Amino acid sequence: MREIEVALIGNPNVGKSLIFNNLTGGRAHVGNWPGKTVEKKEGRCIHKGVTMRIIDLPGVYSLTAASIDELIARNYIVEERPDVVVDIVDASNLERNLYLTLQLLELEANLVIALNKSDIAESLGYEIDVKGLSELLGVPVVPTIATVKVGMEELKDAIVEASKRGVKARVRYREDIEELIERIGDILRRDEDLTRKYPIRWLAIKIIEGDEEVMRLIEERGLIEELREVIG
Amino acid sequence: MERRLSELNPGESGIISRIEGRGEERRKLLDMGLVRGTRITVVRRAPLGDPIELLVKGYNLSLRLDEAEGVYVKPVE
Repeated sequence: MREIEVALIGNPNVGKSLIFNNLTGGRAHVGNWPGKTVEKKEGRCIHKGVTMRIIDLPGVYSLTAASIDELIARNYIVEERPDVVVDIVDASNLERNLYLTLQLLELEANLVIALNKSDIAESLGYEIDVKGLSELLGVPVVPTIATVKVGMEELKDAIVEASKRGVKARVRYREDIEELIERIGDILRRDEDLTRKYPIRWLAIKIIEGDEEVMRLIEERGLIEELREVIG
Repeated sequence: MERRLSELNPGESGIISRIEGRGEERRKLLDMGLVRGTRITVVRRAPLGDPIELLVKGYNLSLRLDEAEGVYVKPVE
């Protein structure tokens, strides 16, 4: 039987744990992230002949290197490269939630979006163009109501489909920024180890942001001098 | 006229014009959706005036007064 690795991520309070429980039937292996006192939950879900190993990542608003939770979530996605990342988005609070979505797209994660709390969004009078959102982002979007298990089968279908397809979406920035990303990428690509391990485009974006973790990595690889010529 | 977010009274709104502050703290505010051009409303203040509750991008956010000091807004009706 085919086995895939699926990571769940989302802002705090979006219903991530509920979706985890719905998918795994509540049977979870609970431990810690290596060397951290942050809980790591893992479970299984079998759907249409595919075994999904489901990993619950910490609830985060962002993927900067600012807190231990954010760092765990982002390192997991960068280093473990799960087959699919399910981004659980609060439909009643779309704008703030999509910030994390954008960062996941930058990370070149193979995304499926669960548009959770669809019922609350509706009761607030929001009409979300699910198809339009999916087209704009370039990833599948599945409306769910985790509290009453609505949309769970559709979500599993979308995960299995996505695992076959791989990543195709990406975020494009203004032309001058794209040029800078390209120039930084050219320098980074000379380092084969780095190229094998990290999405180069993502590293380039993080270098422009001045992300501390990534800058440390670049320094370790001895690329900082060359980069200074480009980024000043 | 520009005012500090920390100076607005409950019920008053403004459009964020700039955010001062150091790297990490500023980044966190940006992460939470406090970016230039965003409308923000002060909902209420804690009994001693700190923290304050805000409405931003359709959700409620609490900030310490010293965090709100670095956020500048142009008041709107």
